Amino acid sequence: MSTAQATKNCITLKGSAQIIVEYLKYGINSILFQRGIYPAENFDNTQQYGLTILMSKDPKITTFLQNVLKQTEEWLSKNMINKISMVITNAHTKEVLECWDFKMQAELGDGDSDGKDPSKQTSSKQLSRIQNEIRDVMRQISATVSYLPLLDCICTFDVMIHTLQNTEIPAQWDETGAVFIQNAQAVQLRSFSTGLHKVDTVVNYKMSS
Amino acid sequence: MEEIRSSLDNIMARFNDSITHSAPKKLSFDRLSMSFSEDSVTVPKKRRIDSLDTSSANASFNASNTSLNNSFTDPVGPWQTRKLRAELIETKAIVNQLQDQLGQQAKEHRGALALAESKAAALKEQCDYTSSKLIEQEKQLQVIRKREHNARQEANRTIAELAQQKLKYETALSRVEQEKTQLEEDAREVQHCINNELSEYKRMCERAEMELRVTQEELERIRERHDEYKETAANYEQLQLNYEMQQQNLNTANARIKELEYEIQSYADWKEVTKTSQARLLSVPELQSELERLRLHNKQLNSLIGDKLLLEEQVHDYKTRLDREEGARAEAAALQVKLAHVEQELKEWVKIAQDHCLANTLVSPMALRTRIEQLLQDDIVRMAEKSSAALDSKQLQTSVRELEQKCAVYLKNIDDMNVVLKRHKSFRERLQRKLLIVCKERDFYKQLLENFDKDLNMTNASTAEMTNDMQVRYRVEVLERTLTGYKEMCSTLEREMQTMRQQESLNDPPITESGYDGVKRELDTLRMENERLRRRKDELELEMEHRCLRGDFNMGNYKVLHLSENPAAQAYEATKNVVEKLQAEIERLKRRNKKLEEDQEQTQARFNETCSSSNAGGGMTMNFKEFNQLRAELESANGKMKKMKDCFKAASKEFRDVCYMLLGYRIDRVGANSHYRISSMYAESPDDYLSISLNESNCLALLESPYSQTLKPAIDQQLAASNSFPAFFAALTLELFQRATVTIN
Repeated sequence: MSTAQATKNCITLKGSAQIIVEYLKYGINSILFQRGIYPAENFDNTQQYGLTILMSKDPKITTFLQNVLKQTEEWLSKNMINKISMVITNAHTKEVLECWDFKMQAELGDGDSDGKDPSKQTSSKQLSRIQNEIRDVMRQISATVSYLPLLDCICTFDVMIHTLQNTEIPAQWDETGAVFIQNAQAVQLRSFSTGLHKVDTVVNYKMSS
Repeated sequence: MEEIRSSLDNIMARFNDSITHSAPKKLSFDRLSMSFSEDSVTVPKKRRIDSLDTSSANASFNASNTSLNNSFTDPVGPWQTRKLRAELIETKAIVNQLQDQLGQQAKEHRGALALAESKAAALKEQCDYTSSKLIEQEKQLQVIRKREHNARQEANRTIAELAQQKLKYETALSRVEQEKTQLEEDAREVQHCINNELSEYKRMCERAEMELRVTQEELERIRERHDEYKETAANYEQLQLNYEMQQQNLNTANARIKELEYEIQSYADWKEVTKTSQARLLSVPELQSELERLRLHNKQLNSLIGDKLLLEEQVHDYKTRLDREEGARAEAAALQVKLAHVEQELKEWVKIAQDHCLANTLVSPMALRTRIEQLLQDDIVRMAEKSSAALDSKQLQTSVRELEQKCAVYLKNIDDMNVVLKRHKSFRERLQRKLLIVCKERDFYKQLLENFDKDLNMTNASTAEMTNDMQVRYRVEVLERTLTGYKEMCSTLEREMQTMRQQESLNDPPITESGYDGVKRELDTLRMENERLRRRKDELELEMEHRCLRGDFNMGNYKVLHLSENPAAQAYEATKNVVEKLQAEIERLKRRNKKLEEDQEQTQARFNETCSSSNAGGGMTMNFKEFNQLRAELESANGKMKKMKDCFKAASKEFRDVCYMLLGYRIDRVGANSHYRISSMYAESPDDYLSISLNESNCLALLESPYSQTLKPAIDQQLAASNSFPAFFAALTLELFQRATVTIN
């Protein structure tokens, strides 16, 4: 019995990457819905983390997210990502209005490998605990609507991944510059950790002076 | 006709006049100057009275006439004679008419006679025809009777034949019946024979069956015997086999015995064995029976073993079940424990919820959740507030620092100023000292001057000679001038000296003290600069750290990647396309607008041209004016036409009435083919009318109608003879009038 439990609660780097990518998927969809970037009728209810989360059913968005998150998972499992930014811009002026940063920090975990081989690091954190942490962040994301400024123009979004300099750029991917928001205000939401990755969620938004 | 036409023309002329004068006038006819209002009413009556008179007595004709025309005062005049003549002519016409009537009646009589004769002839012919037919039919009747007779004869003949044939057939029938009875009898005999034979056969059959049974019994008996024999044979064979076997055994045993006998010589023990074996051999059948018994026993044991195995399997199954059950029980116990634990936890949760929920609200997870959400939201809001407050505090700190720096700068400035002040004070003291020296010098020079003056005065007084006065004065003046010149020179020199000293005092101290002060000041400023820069650096470092924490700034170490086909790029592309499209549309619309404007200008120009050519300002209004005018004209023309129609209708009606009253006929135009219907004033019924048509050559033709049929003599007389419609109509009128008056009488 004891061995079974040990294997059950073990999270590898890949598993951690999967958990984070799942969080990103639901988080980005939730932001898209909460911030009204696409009309509400393009979303469907889904139950996740004990919450009702609205997921986009626009095939373009779903395929885009699928492609991005696939690559993200690959990079995350190699600890090559510093930060993932979801940038909300004005579709006409290209002005950056909001930037949701998901900062990734690698953690050593508490496995037996003692950090010698990063690919064999493990964490014994309970999945339910991680999911509870994620749920709190998701709740906060939903609650941000109360203080974030109203997006009263046609907006669009992009997902930018801040990787290490030595990463190879895959096909269909481009290098771009970091985005800056003039007169920005930042609010850090709760963070969660899988034991191998710590994810901070920060929303930067343009102060409506 | 022509008269009518001329009168019509006349009426039309008058009518036109009336229209032109636009005042309807009563029509006045030149040709009918007589006032018809009286006559039209009185004439029929008069006529009637006249006719009465004429019918009653011809003698009183004139008298009655005169009496009727009593309104005329002159009894014997041309008028009367003319009237008498007219009456005479009228009477003559009546006489003629009566004669005609007489002739007509005679003609009719003749016609009727001829008709009756012709009818009689026709009846005779018919009578002849019917009689001839009667004769023919009689002939036919005779022929038919003959035929009937023949037919009867034939019928009799055929009846006789029929009877004969009947007889023939009856005899045949009786014959056939006899044959039939004979056949039946034969059949009965045959049946009897067959029955007899059948009983015989039955008997034989029974006998055969009996024999068969006996033989079968015998057969069975033989079989039984055969079986017995077989059994005995088998026993025998078995016995033989046994015997043989025993013999073989015996042989083998003998051989063995021999062998053993051979062996006995060496081994005495084997003898006993052979003996026992012999005994065993002797007990072989026993052994065999025992073997069978043992086999049965074995079988029983096998079955018992099978049962045992089954039982064992069942036992094993029950054991496993029991194990499982025990495990489940243990699990259940564990679950119960867990349940208790969970319930405790739930209670704790409920307690927490009660603590956290409002006092009056129902404690539920939803409430807790809302509470948590609220708390989270508050948390976020507080975080936002905290960050903004932190920012504000930072800003305030920076401002405080700046102010402190400023303060320090001011303090240093004050120190500097104090130093300068001290320097100035010392300088002032020096100057005062120098001033004192200069004053002393000046006093000295003054004394010297006074001495000179005294000397001069002394010389003046000593000489006291007026001759050289002028010369001396002149000299004094010159000397005084030179003195003032010297004084001035002195003062200028002093001033120069002062200025020089001032300059020295200004220049000297920096030269003397600059070494240290300047370096110190520079050092101070540099220090301040340094401090300021350090603070700035710290600030920036803090900022940097903050940014680093946020992960914004150390971009040098990272690459920013994004999928080239992202929604943003797509949206930008789409907006770009839309903008291009819109711009193209704007361009197109601009062009169109331009074109429209040009067109409008052109039309305006053309319009203006037309306006100028029609020399009236405001073409549109002109057009409208014209339009309105034309409309008004149209309306007035329509009104005029209507009025004219009304007038014409009234005039035509009047004309028709007048015609009717004057001539006693109403002429109606029927349809469009110049058909006219003429009905008399004195007609007996409204259906009595004549139809007349006007053909192309302007000739009138009387059409046939039910009424015209009744007027055949008059038509013949008037129209066929003289081809005069007026005469015909006049005659008709007269006749009808007479008839009408007669009926009234």
